[in-house]
Amino acid sequence: MSQELLYWQALNRAMDHEMAADDSVFTLGEDVGLYGGSYRVTEGLYAKYGEWRVRDTPISENGFTGLGVGAALVGMRPVVEIMTINFMLLALDSIINGAAKIPLMSGGRLKAPLVVRVPGGIARQLAAQHAQRLEHTLMNVPGLRIAVPSTPQDAYWQLRQAIASDDPIILLEHELLYFTKGPVDFVAEAPPMHRAIVRRQGHDVTVVSYSRHAVVAQDAANELAKDGIDAEVIDLRSLKPIDWDTCAASVEKTHRLLVVEEDCRFAGAGAEISATLTERCFYSLDAPVQRLAGLDIPTPYNGALEAASIPQIADIVAATRQLCQATSESKAA
Amino acid sequence: MSQPIAMPALSDTMSNGRLVKWIKKPGDAVHKGDVIAEVETDKAVMEVEAFQDGYLSGPLIEEGTEAPVGQIIGYISDSPNKVQTAEPLAAPSAPHGADGGNSSDKPAIAAPMSAVLAASTIASRQPLARRHFASAGPVRTNAPISSAEPTAEATPHTSASKPTLVAIEAGPAYRLERASSLREAVARTMIASAATPTFRVSAQLLLDPLLRAANERQQSFTLLLARACARAIVAHPLFNAAYTPEGLARRERVDIGVAVDDGYGLITPVLRDAARKSMTELSRDWAVLHDKVKKRRLAPAEYSGATFYLSNLGASAVVYTFDSIVPIGAAAILSVARARLEGTLCTLACDHRVVFGLDAARFLETLAQQIKEPSKLSV
Repeated sequence: MSQELLYWQALNRAMDHEMAADDSVFTLGEDVGLYGGSYRVTEGLYAKYGEWRVRDTPISENGFTGLGVGAALVGMRPVVEIMTINFMLLALDSIINGAAKIPLMSGGRLKAPLVVRVPGGIARQLAAQHAQRLEHTLMNVPGLRIAVPSTPQDAYWQLRQAIASDDPIILLEHELLYFTKGPVDFVAEAPPMHRAIVRRQGHDVTVVSYSRHAVVAQDAANELAKDGIDAEVIDLRSLKPIDWDTCAASVEKTHRLLVVEEDCRFAGAGAEISATLTERCFYSLDAPVQRLAGLDIPTPYNGALEAASIPQIADIVAATRQLCQATSESKAA
Repeated sequence: MSQPIAMPALSDTMSNGRLVKWIKKPGDAVHKGDVIAEVETDKAVMEVEAFQDGYLSGPLIEEGTEAPVGQIIGYISDSPNKVQTAEPLAAPSAPHGADGGNSSDKPAIAAPMSAVLAASTIASRQPLARRHFASAGPVRTNAPISSAEPTAEATPHTSASKPTLVAIEAGPAYRLERASSLREAVARTMIASAATPTFRVSAQLLLDPLLRAANERQQSFTLLLARACARAIVAHPLFNAAYTPEGLARRERVDIGVAVDDGYGLITPVLRDAARKSMTELSRDWAVLHDKVKKRRLAPAEYSGATFYLSNLGASAVVYTFDSIVPIGAAAILSVARARLEGTLCTLACDHRVVFGLDAARFLETLAQQIKEPSKLSV
């Protein structure tokens, strides 16, 4: 029984279902209550569950995130919404020194079932301080899990799984995905939260991506299909942990790997994916792993420059073509 | 329909050409064979001809810019209405304003690679050396903001890692001036010749008879000297050979390259068949070459392929003696200093892979003989 929903609506339903099922679930953040959330994710919840469970906070990221960490430690299941990932920098102490470490430092006696929902990524001309990607930072925090849903269905599943989990989990939501539409099945059994999904089957090359760029990669794959290049597109869905088995199985089948990410190239998700899959699949690869990533620059405000700073469909098409061409040439030789 | 005009390959060695001047302006009617532009190649300014009838159309590359062979430098349109210009023409056939190419008349350069793709390509495909040391050329031109290296690497100091520049950095402040393509060509030839194992033999030759003959007959002294060399080469044909890894290239004809300074640099117009042609013919050839050198219109075919070279610094009263570098493709070059009463010092620099010391001595003896009897040179 699936229903066509927007990404934000799917998240909204997940919140509703979890709050209805479990009294310990509550949400807090800037404008989540009366206003209904910057991207409408908490719309209607304030009216339904009241101001104690849908809590508006002052502009004090480290304060209310710390409040969430504390609540989680004493048995609640808080969902903290940080308005954008750019403001999350202020909350990193609570997340990194608090949520990520206390479970280990307490010898497992304290759990931190915290969910931090953060819109992020490069949207439309929000300028450098509002168009950051912090995957690379968060991925380097032991103790955190990171989910990156790219479809309404995943948004629904992964938010519910995150709330149900006893681990601190960051849900990175892409600002350009909130108004994308897709089928959401409320009944179907969800795959494990960190499981990668093959979005498109192919046998010529594996394209690994996540979040919005997993969608962009699928568009590129459809372009490539017109040239007879059959690309397999993997949507990671989770950046920590990463489902290496699904990726490795694909690379062993296609022998070529292109990693596409919106985040900066240097020391980011793509670097990790490239390194690990090179280690695991070295003898299966016909060519060096290629990466397409955002440039190592603060995101420009100018629309054309902004677009030029992150991989576009044409870039993925060109890079994939090069990758396939280079390998078929070296094979011929 | 517009047909693109590609940068033509005007010589075998030409990889880039600099567009010196557009002879026609966008909108001008051109006929097949008309000269539409001038392009500076390795050593000369050459004319670019229209390959079909039509109207010159933009976007044209700007004068003074350099483009690789094959790159589109402009268009020929079949209709005056389709001509693209920077500013709209008053009437299709009206003469165009002097500043035909203004800023919107951008060079027709292929769309650059996206920065993201370039970042990927640079990091993965650049040769190691370039990635780690000089980030000068391609990195910066292709992708000004995409360098995957830390920004500090993009500072001008990076170029100092080249040994020459390191030495220069130690000295006073300097500015880099683009070398003329002629100088670049000379530099390339000289570097290519540096590996030639060379030896030198000097002789004192009495050039008076030759000088007198030149005066009497109103002929060029250099020309007579070239003729004398050519005759000596006929007697010692090894001097007309060139070393190649596959064997000695023994040439059927003696072509003498004469080093000339055209005011911009060194160039070597070649006197073809200098041993057998009549002096009248040779004089005519020389006059034509000389004229072209002065106008900087010498074509590659006219300055390359000599089998022997001659360099004369006799015009300088203070030069006592000098020697020259044997250009690739020749066995020897003769350097002639200022004529003196006791004799002129002439140095023969030779490629030791082709000729040996005794060959050089014998060659110089024959040359001395030739010079003594200038009347025989005309026969």
